Amino acid sequence: MAAAGRLAGRRSEQAAVAPRRARRPVILLTVSYLVAAILALPLVFLLIEAHGAGASQVAQLIFRPLTLTLLWNTIRLTVVVTAACAVIGTAAAWWVERTDLPGRRAWAVVVVVPLAIPDFVVSFGWNSLWTWAHGFRGAVIVMTLAVYPLVYLPVAASLRSADPGQEEVARSLGSGRVRTFVRITLGQAKGAILGGCLLVALVLLAEYGAFEILGYQTFTTEIFTEFNAYSFDASCALSLVLVLLSLLVLAGEGMLRGRGRVSRSGPMTQRINPPQRLGWARWPVLALFAALVLLALGVPVASTLYWMVAGLPPALSGGANVSLLNAAGHTALYGGAAGILATVMAFPVALLAVRHSGRMRHFLERSTYLVLGIPGVVIAFALSYFTERYAAGFGYGTSMLLIACYGIMFFPLALVGVKASLARAPASLDEVARSLGQRRLAVLFRVTMRLAGPGLVAAFCLVFLSVVTELTATLLLIPTGTQTLATQFWSYETNLSYSQAAPFALVMIIVAAVPSYVLGRFFNRPARPRG
Amino acid sequence: MRQVAVTGLYKAFGSHPVLTGVDLEVPAGSLTAILGPSGSGKTTLLRLLAGFEQADAGTISIGDALVDGPGVHVAPERRRIGYVPQEGSLFPHLTVEANVGFGLAVRERRGGKAAKMLETVGLGGFGQRYPHQLSGGQQQRVALARALAIEPAVVLLDEPFASLDTHLRASIRADVQEIFRRAGTTAVLVTHDQDEALSVADQVAALRDGTIAQCAAPEDLYSRPADPGLARFVGDANLLEGVLDGGAVKTLLGDLPLDPKAVPAGQPGQVTVLIRPEQIELDPGQDGMAGQVVSYGYHGHDAVVHVRPAFDADGLTIIVRVRGGRHLPVGSPVTLRARGPVFAWARDQ
Repeated sequence: MAAAGRLAGRRSEQAAVAPRRARRPVILLTVSYLVAAILALPLVFLLIEAHGAGASQVAQLIFRPLTLTLLWNTIRLTVVVTAACAVIGTAAAWWVERTDLPGRRAWAVVVVVPLAIPDFVVSFGWNSLWTWAHGFRGAVIVMTLAVYPLVYLPVAASLRSADPGQEEVARSLGSGRVRTFVRITLGQAKGAILGGCLLVALVLLAEYGAFEILGYQTFTTEIFTEFNAYSFDASCALSLVLVLLSLLVLAGEGMLRGRGRVSRSGPMTQRINPPQRLGWARWPVLALFAALVLLALGVPVASTLYWMVAGLPPALSGGANVSLLNAAGHTALYGGAAGILATVMAFPVALLAVRHSGRMRHFLERSTYLVLGIPGVVIAFALSYFTERYAAGFGYGTSMLLIACYGIMFFPLALVGVKASLARAPASLDEVARSLGQRRLAVLFRVTMRLAGPGLVAAFCLVFLSVVTELTATLLLIPTGTQTLATQFWSYETNLSYSQAAPFALVMIIVAAVPSYVLGRFFNRPARPRG
Repeated sequence: MRQVAVTGLYKAFGSHPVLTGVDLEVPAGSLTAILGPSGSGKTTLLRLLAGFEQADAGTISIGDALVDGPGVHVAPERRRIGYVPQEGSLFPHLTVEANVGFGLAVRERRGGKAAKMLETVGLGGFGQRYPHQLSGGQQQRVALARALAIEPAVVLLDEPFASLDTHLRASIRADVQEIFRRAGTTAVLVTHDQDEALSVADQVAALRDGTIAQCAAPEDLYSRPADPGLARFVGDANLLEGVLDGGAVKTLLGDLPLDPKAVPAGQPGQVTVLIRPEQIELDPGQDGMAGQVVSYGYHGHDAVVHVRPAFDADGLTIIVRVRGGRHLPVGSPVTLRARGPVFAWARDQ
């Protein structure tokens, strides 16, 4: 008793000592806030616009029958496509990562490639061949085939890094194959599935080109139409609703995910788990993979080739070739610059998210995702508005502005990649490196970056791909007289000059396929060190 | 000469105090074990020594330099500490040799120092392998070589043997002790395993409730712990009531000579007596205390027998450790006799 009393006394006495300054990642926080502020610009603009238009005017524009139609169209498409992507992406990832599916290494690459094909090229591929690929039905088919890799990639990565011991324990506790899959495997991949679904839903909310071709009206297409008709108030009002929808999606995902943080324990160097045997089931599964690749990759590519061959003479004329090279060059340039910009911006936020806990970092991380839900058209408009109105036209109408716009738009993609890669570089390794006399910056380059490097390349590639396939913001912000593959394709496509549009689609596919191959290889690689 | 000195160290996470005034001195060239149950703050103490955390109050000195104190916090990379974390934490992207050479200047790295360090830990020829190609024990040795390569002022080990197999643990422990002894390394080791602490360290600091309850040589800690709770923490203990009279103490197990260093120093009165299980003989003859076996645990080299005294109804059992393995069924009648000297504490009146 006496000892306990003494102890309590000492404790309260010590508690009176003012604690020294707590260690907080001040620089990291500051930079992250700066990034968040840049990302918030489009939203700020939106609110300023809405304020300028007046509450009653905005309310009038929101509460009309059109909004209800758009809401119905947007929501039912988002729900159906997200569900389809979740099923396809998760199943494909499990078969590739955890079973003895024949040719799984090759499938792992091929299955990701559809991400490289622009959504509007996929829709062009289907719509130009079959007129029934139109409206809701067309939109479901096209968008599912175009974006399911967004679920596949994170789920495959998480399945690869998950502890196989848990499945074995579950089996040993009398849980069957199916039960183990549902309770353990899906549980391990839950965060990745939800994260992928979040991306899919947000991409759907912001898609423009594909829906325009398929004649399917959503908030984003309507905002673009109103914007082109110079009815800024209307597009602003609709944007508010769209942003609200994105917020709901984010909140829903956050609630489903729960508060738990996944942490891995156990030895750092992992045993590679033996794949599950498929047995006779391998044949139907192989057929499914073949069908998936045929629909997602075969149809758009074949369609593009078909139109090219159909219009061979004009496509081969000298003028077209020069503009093709020129457009491809611009696309690659913008993609590269935007990839670097987004990855650099994502690095501090990802570091904060992975290495530090606390409410502020959670808030920061969440808020940066919001950007993906704001359609490119709004972001593009915001930046031109800011440069024209507040920066005395500085940067207005230049490539810089377009690249900055891409950087903001695709920041969330980069963040996903950078976070995943930083998770491969645990903080304990940094501590060891510092105890060995290395300064923080040296540790960053010799350990953190080395381990995260492949993931950073993957993040860069994700952004690059997205820029190649980006249409909306590009159409609005591209410097006068410049063409990218997407904009040139678009102007031919809208004129129904399919055979002239086809070469641009093909080059887009090729330009984007290279990074997607790198991406596939990165996620394909077993988690082991390089030589 | 002391190599590490800690005074009044206080550390809280949020409103939860973890260390509440730790004082510790680590003599140069010694191996000090910090022994504590999980959650006692021993890893926090190690991280404070390494500089990964900053103390709220108190000071830490390494060598002659104050590294943590009011207005002072020396970065981990400038403390010259060799840190060996629990899982080894080898850099997975580097070869074994590059891991060991990580903290060395470029010139030293070329000079083959890393290879020499690997020889020291018995892993010569493994330099070109990658960490995932090594067993757990080998990884731990590499982590040790990496820490020693920078010729640290002090090596900090965080439960370094916890993830190893039992037989491997003993041999690596012995190797580590030998390597440290030969190099004259000062080391601080954190562990929750009292066997490990007692067998490997020159000095054991028992951490309890955020303070060092006792810091002593292993033999002292085991046979003369500061209080009954600590006696139980460092090993099996029989804590019996006794009456002190002159140099002897009257207990259930007869009159026993008192350890001359025991605190009451021969003052007559009520005491609590510590009798370790190996101080008790089983079936010495007719003049022992009679009892009955209530459980029998066989361990090969020895056996632990719990005995209930025949005349005591308080449910007290006495733990006896006997060498060899004569099986004793539960219920067997036995007699017990203790050998002194025994340690005792005055009882609160």
